Amino acid sequence: MTSTKVKKNRLRDFASAITQVWQICVYNFMSWKKNPRVFITFGLAFVLCFLLTDKVVEFSYEYDTIMQAVEPFVWTFGDSNSILLASLLLILLFSDMPFLGAGIPFYLMRTTRIRWMLGQVLYICIAIFIYMLFVMLSSIIICMKNAFAGNMWSETGAILGYSQAGKAIAVPSSVKTMEMSTPYECMATIFLLMLLYTLLCVFIMLVMNLRKGKFWGIGSVFIFSIYGFLLNPQLFKDTLHLSDEQMYIANVATGWASPLQHATYYMHNFGYDLLPRLKHTYMIYAVLILLLFTSAFLAMRNYNFKFTGGLD
Amino acid sequence: MTDALSFEKENTAISIQHVSKSFDKDEVLHDVNHNFEEGLIHGVIGNNGSGKTVLFKCICGFLTPSKGKIFVDYQQVGKDMDFPDDMGIIIETPGFLPFSTGFKNLKILASLRDKIGDDRIKETIRRVGLDPDSKKLVSKYSLGMRQRLGIAQAIMEDPLMLILDEPFNGLDKHGVADMRELLLELKGRGKTILLASHNQADIDELCDTVCEMDAGVLTVIR
Repeated sequence: MTSTKVKKNRLRDFASAITQVWQICVYNFMSWKKNPRVFITFGLAFVLCFLLTDKVVEFSYEYDTIMQAVEPFVWTFGDSNSILLASLLLILLFSDMPFLGAGIPFYLMRTTRIRWMLGQVLYICIAIFIYMLFVMLSSIIICMKNAFAGNMWSETGAILGYSQAGKAIAVPSSVKTMEMSTPYECMATIFLLMLLYTLLCVFIMLVMNLRKGKFWGIGSVFIFSIYGFLLNPQLFKDTLHLSDEQMYIANVATGWASPLQHATYYMHNFGYDLLPRLKHTYMIYAVLILLLFTSAFLAMRNYNFKFTGGLD
Repeated sequence: MTDALSFEKENTAISIQHVSKSFDKDEVLHDVNHNFEEGLIHGVIGNNGSGKTVLFKCICGFLTPSKGKIFVDYQQVGKDMDFPDDMGIIIETPGFLPFSTGFKNLKILASLRDKIGDDRIKETIRRVGLDPDSKKLVSKYSLGMRQRLGIAQAIMEDPLMLILDEPFNGLDKHGVADMRELLLELKGRGKTILLASHNQADIDELCDTVCEMDAGVLTVIR
C-alpha cells in the first residue's frame, strides 16, 4: 500500500473515531427526553437560584436601587456554599454514571472502550456547561425586572460592597471584586471557576464509580464536598476564636488547600496577599482533572460492564 | 495473535481457553475450555445463575476473564480488540431509546459503523415482522416487539457471528416460529450462532451442538 493510501486510511479512521465519540455523546443527550431526573435537577437548580439570589433582589427592591443583570449571579456564586449546593445537585443528574443502560451493549459492540469513554467524557463536559449556563441564566432572569445590561457595577452593588449591608445579609459582595474587574469579566471568571470545580467533582465520581462501584462514586463526592466545606476560614475563626493575624494565615492556607475555596472568586490573589492567583487555580484544576481523566481511562481498560435492565 | 496459539480445528469461530471468572470470591465460570465451530448453531443450556450470560458477556468483551483467554475469529478479546468486530448480540433485555421509533433507534446504531443505509435497515425491520415506517415509539412497544427489534439490530449489519441470550423471550408462538426460521436461514448463509434458551424445543430444533452450564462448568451434551 502506498503511503498516500495509508495516510488516507488513517484519516478516515480518525474521522470515524470522532464521529463515533460525538454519536455516543449525543445518545446520552437523547436519553434526556422526558427523563424525570433531568427535569428534577434543572427544576431544583432554578429553585436554588431563586432562593440564593432572593436576598440580593429583595435588597434592591427595599432600597429602590437597580442592579446590573449579572450581579445576582456574581454576588451569589461568589460564595463557596452556593457553589457547593449548585454542584451537589449535579450528583442527581450523574448518579447513574458511567451510564450503562440496557441499550449500551448495542453501542459498545459497534465501537471501542476508549471511544465510548471519550463519548461519556464529552457528554459530561457539555452537560455541566449547559447546567452552569442554566444556573447563570436563571439568576439573570430572576432579577431581570430591575436590571440593566451595561458593563458597570450598579448602585446596589456599591451599597452592598462599600457598606456593611452585604455582610448583614450574608452576600459576599466585596470592594475587592468591584475594583478588580467589570461585571461581565467577573461573571465569566466565576462561571469558569464553577465549571472547573464541578468538572472535578464529577470526574472524582466517575473514577470512583469505575474503580469501586456506584456507592463509592456518590460517597466520594460527598466526602470531597464535606472536605471543601470544612476547610473554611470563617468556620476556623468561629470555632477556634482566631486573632486577625491567625485568621489571615487560615485564610491563605484554606485558599490553597481547599478545592472549594479555589472555586470562590474573592479567595484569590489580586496583587496584595498570598492567596492563589486565578492562573494557579486554573492550573491546579487542570492537573487534577487530567489525572482523574487518565485514571478513568486506565480503569476502563479492564472494566466489567454491568448493564441495567429494561428500556433505557 | 494466531501464530502463538493452536486451535483444535481450523474452522473454529470462537475459542474459549481455560476461562474462569470470579466476582470477589464467587467463581461464576470455572475453567471453561471449548471451541465453537463456524457455520453452526450452538446451544447453551443451563439453569438461572449457571453462568451462561457471564460466558456470553466474556465472549463479547463486556467482562474480562479472571483467568484464560477467549478468541473470536482468531483474535483475542480484550487484547487484539475490545469487542468482536463482526458480531451481533442480544444480551439480557434489549434496551432502546424509548421516545424514538424503532427505525430511528436502529438508524442511530447503524450510523456508528456506517456500513449500511436506510434501505437495509428497513428491510431488516420488515424481516423480523415489524413495520419500518411505523411512527410508534419504542416506549409503546410490547415485550415481543422490543425483542424483534433487538434481533433486527443484531442482524442488520449481516455479522458473521451472533450471540443470542434468550432471544425468544416475550415472543408469541408465531414470533418464535418466525425467529427459528430466520436463525436457520442465517445458518444456511454460513453464520455462527451461539444461542442460550430455556426452551428445550428451541434447542432441539435449532442447535447442531449443545453444551450445558452448571455452576460455572461447561459440559458438552451433544
